[in-house]
Amino acid sequence: MAKPAIRKPKKKANPLKAAKVENIDYKDVALLRKFISDRGKIRARRVTGVSVQEQRLIANAVKNAREMALLPYSSSPR
Amino acid sequence: MRQYELMVILDPELDDRTVQPSLEKFLNVVTTDGGTVDTIDVWGRRRLAYEIKKKAEGIYAVVNFTSEPATAKELDRQLGLNESIMRTKLMRPGA
Repeated sequence: MAKPAIRKPKKKANPLKAAKVENIDYKDVALLRKFISDRGKIRARRVTGVSVQEQRLIANAVKNAREMALLPYSSSPR
Repeated sequence: MRQYELMVILDPELDDRTVQPSLEKFLNVVTTDGGTVDTIDVWGRRRLAYEIKKKAEGIYAVVNFTSEPATAKELDRQLGLNESIMRTKLMRPGA
């Protein structure tokens, strides 16, 4: 049996660099929307392709935005 | 003295014209204690992502000010006591 080929993970372009964002702000809803799924969950770093440090800032910003009802906690409850 | 950023969600039943003066009244505590109010930005009516106090809308406002930590805490306390303020968030930008 042939060994399954080891897949090289494709490096994603950093979306923050593309959008030229310097500091991540919880008030910037349009930006944060890119980092949550349609259910309202925070997207994983392997999906978003940002650095560890940036992912942490994004996660905190999303949580702050949720507290102020700018973003949903969950958009479609089961 | 420290810089603060305060976001408040006000009751949507308030009149739009009374928002700015009522915010200024709350911010009096900052100026009397030697702080300064830098900017008041009223976003206006905005749909909430989920209902707060059975309301689907809110009037958002963002205030930047400089004051002593104790003053900022007192301001947040006084805002929390008011019925027409649905939610507040007091933050230090860049911290």
